[in-house]
Amino acid sequence: MIQRKLSVILENKPGALVRVVGLFHQRGYNIESLHVDPVEDLNEYRFVEEKLNINLKEGEVSHLIIATTVNDNLLRQILRQINKLIDVLMAEEIK
Amino acid sequence: MKLAGNDMLIQSLIEEGVEYIFGYPGGAALHIYDSIFKQKEMEHILVRHEQGATHAADGYARATGKPGVVLVTSGPGATNAITGIATAFMDSIPMIVISGQVAKHLIGTDAFQETDMIGVSRPIVKHSFTVDSAENIPEIVKQAFYIATSGRPGPVVIDVPKDTTAPDKLFEFKYPNKVDIRSYKPPIEPDPKQIERAVDAIIESKKPVIYAGGGAINSNASEELRRLNEILDFPVTNTLMGLGVYPATHERFLGMLGMHGTYQANMSMHNADLIIAIGARFDDRITNTPKLFAPNAKIIHLDVDYSSVSKIIEANIAVFGQVKNSLKEIIKLLEGKKELIDSKKIIPWKKQISDWKSQHGLNHEMHLCETDDQPIMPQAVVQHIYNITKGKAFITSDVGQHQMFAAQYYHFDEPRKWINSGGLGTMGFGLPAAMGAKLAYPDDEVICITGEGSIQMCIQELSTCTQYNLPIKIININNEALGMVKQWQDMNYGGRHSASTYQSSLPNFVELAESYGHIGIKIEKNSELKSGLEKALSIKDRLVFVDVYVDPNEHVYPMLVAPNGSLKDMWLDKETKT
Repeated sequence: MIQRKLSVILENKPGALVRVVGLFHQRGYNIESLHVDPVEDLNEYRFVEEKLNINLKEGEVSHLIIATTVNDNLLRQILRQINKLIDVLMAEEIK
Repeated sequence: MKLAGNDMLIQSLIEEGVEYIFGYPGGAALHIYDSIFKQKEMEHILVRHEQGATHAADGYARATGKPGVVLVTSGPGATNAITGIATAFMDSIPMIVISGQVAKHLIGTDAFQETDMIGVSRPIVKHSFTVDSAENIPEIVKQAFYIATSGRPGPVVIDVPKDTTAPDKLFEFKYPNKVDIRSYKPPIEPDPKQIERAVDAIIESKKPVIYAGGGAINSNASEELRRLNEILDFPVTNTLMGLGVYPATHERFLGMLGMHGTYQANMSMHNADLIIAIGARFDDRITNTPKLFAPNAKIIHLDVDYSSVSKIIEANIAVFGQVKNSLKEIIKLLEGKKELIDSKKIIPWKKQISDWKSQHGLNHEMHLCETDDQPIMPQAVVQHIYNITKGKAFITSDVGQHQMFAAQYYHFDEPRKWINSGGLGTMGFGLPAAMGAKLAYPDDEVICITGEGSIQMCIQELSTCTQYNLPIKIININNEALGMVKQWQDMNYGGRHSASTYQSSLPNFVELAESYGHIGIKIEKNSELKSGLEKALSIKDRLVFVDVYVDPNEHVYPMLVAPNGSLKDMWLDKETKT
């Protein structure tokens, strides 16, 4: 198993981050590192707008990067669980 | 129209068509309760414990398909609701739980009756909201109902700080007609390519089984499933949660599968070359050891929830969407390819299944006994109820042996008639769930099949039944022990009955029921069983509590051998293993 980095774009709302973080413990996954910032420079996030057909405003969403060590099957399961959270716009592996 | 926060909340519920709200008042919810008092459109049902409120709302939701609504106060009111929320979450039941909260300026100060309800409930809700400002109440309620009822349904908590419901501040009230949540888009229509692949696999199969679960009921897909099988004539098994979605009296029905599933259902799944999973999630009570599960089967999995597919068992063909819609598409494509369906191909398979059924199928005769030298068998109680009600009643159950006997011996031909806590396995569910079903369908027979262990976990709701005149029937299958625990102790712990008996401490249930104003009937002999149950079920306007003393040594069979067993490894009785 190797360490994977997950990129999660979520609504910058109170309580949204803890739903993602909480999910890891709830489902028995481990968080090895975690970084989160509100998205200020939208230029790097046009792909989110395109994929979801939405317009973002500065500071409206947060970008979370989580590192965890899991196999392929579990990775897919984690990403599906995160994507299922109502406040999450997008979750994928950083390759 | 200008309204205060409390009135906006209640008006929003009325806009959503809520008929009943199950709850219990307290300090933080008092403004909301005042609004309830002033309106006539929905009825509040005062339970005796918040757990009862959640299960009653849950029973209402399962019986009707509409979301159940709960109102509790902060602190203990909210935490008492947790078990019921978790029950609804595990079985994907739409529910709205409104919890009072201390005023915003007190949050975080350890104020009187303050609990972080959003935090406590987070792992067991589909989503939750805190009302930050009264103006947002209509939008939040609209979103909460949409989330609770769409996609894979589930409970949604709305935590309402007391100051946002203050009666003295007015806001313009306009209930939104539409809702759009940009980060939440559950799949609705399936991918046509996957439908094609599914149909090809169906046409190729020689040993197919349809395995349908609670998701098929949630999606109201019973009619589509029946239509599909008019074309295919495949064997069908249902999960505990799926009973009724396919008629139990149909020739192709195999019975329930899994831990206490029938011999033929489990053998068919194990030996299948194709499993069509419809709104079912390969729970551990179904698969037994996952790596030994159905070794030769291709899996088609129809589900609305991405995260349920390939979670336990890898799906070969995944069809995401409302299973009702996915089934419609499969039917449409199959109808165009009718000439390719060779019904002769599965004749040997059907023969094999019918042999399995005649070898070790459930034996309905062996439990019925008219003489008093034998104890009453619990299965016989369920069989008599089935015969008397002609299979038409709503049956709720609690958790344990009685639940499994009810699932095995009451044959459900219609969806939503079988109401039980499958995922969480919550004792105490049956009585309040029956209240919810009875309120929804006052003219139908609603029967709670329970045990003397489970019924005592929410027995206070007998008082609620008195207040609202809910003439449900409670059949207490009394074996004077925690039967399922005891069965495991008999089978795996050398018969050491650790904390599973009551040492003569059980109440007199007949007198207990009478003290709440109900009718109590005690049945101890086989010769009284049929007539006693007939008498109880002939009384339409009163709650009847029937306390039936059954054989305390009976076990539930079949039972999967665990750990490390597959679906073909079953105990068939106390001495026989497959």
